[in-house]
Amino acid sequence: MSAPAPTIIPMITMIVEELGRIVAEKGAALPPLAADTAFLGGPLPIDSLDLATLLVVLEQRTGHDPFRAGFRQFTTVGELASLYSTDTLVEAP
Amino acid sequence: MTAPPAWLPVWIDGRTRLIERGETLGWPQLAIRAGALAETFRAGVRLAVADGNRVATLIAALAAAESASVPLLLRRNPETVPPDLPAGDSFAVLLQTSGTTGAPKVVRHDFTRLRGRLRGTGDRGARWLLTYEPAAFAGVQVILTALAAGATLIAAPGEGLAGLARAALAHGATHVSGTPSFWRAFLIALGDARPPLKAVTLGGEPADQPLLDRLAEAFPGARLRHIYASTEAGSLFAVTDGRAGFPASWLETGVEAVGLRVRDGILEVRSPRAMLGYAGGGAADRDGWIVTGDLVAVVGDRVLFTGRADGRVNVGGVKVSPEAVEALLLTAPGVQDALVAAAANPITGRILTASVVPMPGVGEAAVRASVRDAVAALEPAARPRLVHVVERLELGASGKKRRGGNG
Repeated sequence: MSAPAPTIIPMITMIVEELGRIVAEKGAALPPLAADTAFLGGPLPIDSLDLATLLVVLEQRTGHDPFRAGFRQFTTVGELASLYSTDTLVEAP
Repeated sequence: MTAPPAWLPVWIDGRTRLIERGETLGWPQLAIRAGALAETFRAGVRLAVADGNRVATLIAALAAAESASVPLLLRRNPETVPPDLPAGDSFAVLLQTSGTTGAPKVVRHDFTRLRGRLRGTGDRGARWLLTYEPAAFAGVQVILTALAAGATLIAAPGEGLAGLARAALAHGATHVSGTPSFWRAFLIALGDARPPLKAVTLGGEPADQPLLDRLAEAFPGARLRHIYASTEAGSLFAVTDGRAGFPASWLETGVEAVGLRVRDGILEVRSPRAMLGYAGGGAADRDGWIVTGDLVAVVGDRVLFTGRADGRVNVGGVKVSPEAVEALLLTAPGVQDALVAAAANPITGRILTASVVPMPGVGEAAVRASVRDAVAALEPAARPRLVHVVERLELGASGKKRRGGNG
């Protein structure tokens, strides 16, 4: 896959959009999000299965898998977005 | 001063404390519950049943059933308990396998064997965080370990991962055992915070090397180990060298009194701590060897786990069958064809995804609703998390559906 890597702002928008879908599926509402909102242990009504779902959707939508070479630490929305934005550095064109 | 309770099972250190739902209970409080339950059990009960979602109830029921000499079923899911469970007049512990999408079974364990790997002494100051379902095999192991040591057991049933992270920090957990999926999510939930861990244990799924490395880095002072166990085979062995898999030499020598061998690529074990059998008869073994169903490969000096022989995949420590979920979707109204696949992710290992072809004239919203209803009774790990509505399924060269994504 050589789709161009998304930049961070569109990535955050995409994450918020997909989180909204996942949360709506559970009949819950998404609280206001910021780049420093934590995925787990914070205000988001999601569990680890929801987070796993989000990562699979993001891979399907962007064609990028920043975790291919192993796990990379992230806690917040902004940190996850930046993993996708910097993914081109490790992905062969 | 209240007098110490006269009744203390040998497997409980009287200094044990349980922190559950903001309440702290010592053995004196638990003994009152256990005493009341024991009276009920003695009044003609030949199979005691306890719902395993409260740790206090579970501990009291174990003590009560032992004292009343009745078998005790620790119930996880009332809907999958077979109706014809044999009763008895001696103490044994009956556990339900998760049996998510296969046939769920009830497994009978001798209590002494169940406690065969516990090393309780010396860790009295431990503060154990219970991350497993209390009535699951691994949950019972953690509970019995804490009880034997006189440790503090921290439980937050039903509060999810965020609740566990909060509880670990608030109560200063020192010992945590969880699935690799739990640990990945736990690290995310903790952010920069670190509970004062002395022991980091992984179980329930194969532990991968990147995660082991990350945990060693995040908790440099903690003892790191991964455990191989199953509801049927019992607690088998621990690997403490920080590397994935286990030493290939163990296939020759055995370990912790467990024999290990590989037949047709599948790991078989012979264990002094195995179950007595399935409740209602039947054993899983041939000549004392239990076929684990875990595929393994010998790579250099290591035996590595590579998947399940029955095609089931691990979703956050729960083994689910894509084929069985697919068969269920094919029975849903308005569904013409369906394909269930497993998608890899760094949090739960796999999740299930589905592609669904609606029958002619059935709209997308209707088919989605039908799929949602069809999977509602499955436990969350077995439900397809992403459903794609498509016009047709891609077929592989053989003309079979391409399940893909399992690798």
